[in-house]
Amino acid sequence: MKLKIFAVVFLFHHVAFSQNISIIKFETLQQRITSNPDTVYVVNFFASWCAPCIKEIPEFLKYADENKAQKVRVIFVSLDFKKSMSESLLPLIKKLNINQTVYLLDEPDANDWINKIDNAWSGVIPATLILHNSSDYRRFTTESLTYSLLKKFAK
Amino acid sequence: MKRSIYIIQSGLILAIFGFTLINFTFRDDDKVKDFKLKNVDGSYVSLSDYPDAKGFIIIFTCNHCPFAKLYPARLNELNLKYKKLGIPLLAISSTDTIVYEEDTYVKMVEKSNKESFNFPYLYDGQQIVAKNFKAQKTPHAYVIWKEKGQWTIKYQGAIDDNGAEPEKVENNYISMAIDQLLNNKEVKIKETKSIGCQIRFRK
Repeated sequence: MKLKIFAVVFLFHHVAFSQNISIIKFETLQQRITSNPDTVYVVNFFASWCAPCIKEIPEFLKYADENKAQKVRVIFVSLDFKKSMSESLLPLIKKLNINQTVYLLDEPDANDWINKIDNAWSGVIPATLILHNSSDYRRFTTESLTYSLLKKFAK
Repeated sequence: MKRSIYIIQSGLILAIFGFTLINFTFRDDDKVKDFKLKNVDGSYVSLSDYPDAKGFIIIFTCNHCPFAKLYPARLNELNLKYKKLGIPLLAISSTDTIVYEEDTYVKMVEKSNKESFNFPYLYDGQQIVAKNFKAQKTPHAYVIWKEKGQWTIKYQGAIDDNGAEPEKVENNYISMAIDQLLNNKEVKIKETKSIGCQIRFRK
């Protein structure tokens, strides 16, 4: 009986995680981060192989948690290779307990879309875009972000 | 009502992404200086060591970066093809070896042996060359060409348009640029963007 309960909990746990990640094209990402003009979108580009990216993820999670009553959405965009998703990205999501939306961007040629995020972006990660569409606010940065910087930038 | 919301939204999307239509202009300071860096075989390498070179393929790369790890075989191929045409390939590692132990000179020697690099793999421990090129990440590729006795950047960015799946590459950006230069044509795609590992400059 105990084992059964464990199995059920495990299953739910797994479902909860897999629900949070979807593989998308850039066009879809564009739509998702402009869909609600009143919402502040904090879009973080990362990869499981990028050490400085992993370091700042908890700061984003803290920020998301503190602002869950607000119209704020933290979106993680993974630039991991699609084929290594299950062995590197999913364990990372679990380990860091990433409870926000995670997209895996399925675009092999970054040259097609990088400039659509920001012209000055060379492609280094981590990179973060903060958007508030109704007030035309946008801020793009490749600096390592902390909770307090996020609070400042997304105000 | 729904329609007007839609119009507002498309307006917003345009406002946000419309600027991408503006082409970024190539920077004026496209000249680079010669350098002298230690190769994995212990010798020192400079551009002036190749008096007959028309140009060079310069690749800022490193050992640790997963994106750079996708390319050793393709770099060997590029050098094999273009060295004999007077455009040798030089790979340069400029990462901060204090942060990334995998990128030390000793590990570079090991990597070069393991991957049978047929080109020099140079150690830019002081990060001077990376700064001169304004290289930002690994891999960050350049094609430079001799113009009126000066080394001029003609292309920079990605090596090709598919890191993870070489069999699906459609645009070999480096080859395209070199072939145009060899035919005395202007390079059509002068700059591309790609994902990579940041070269962190020590302050």
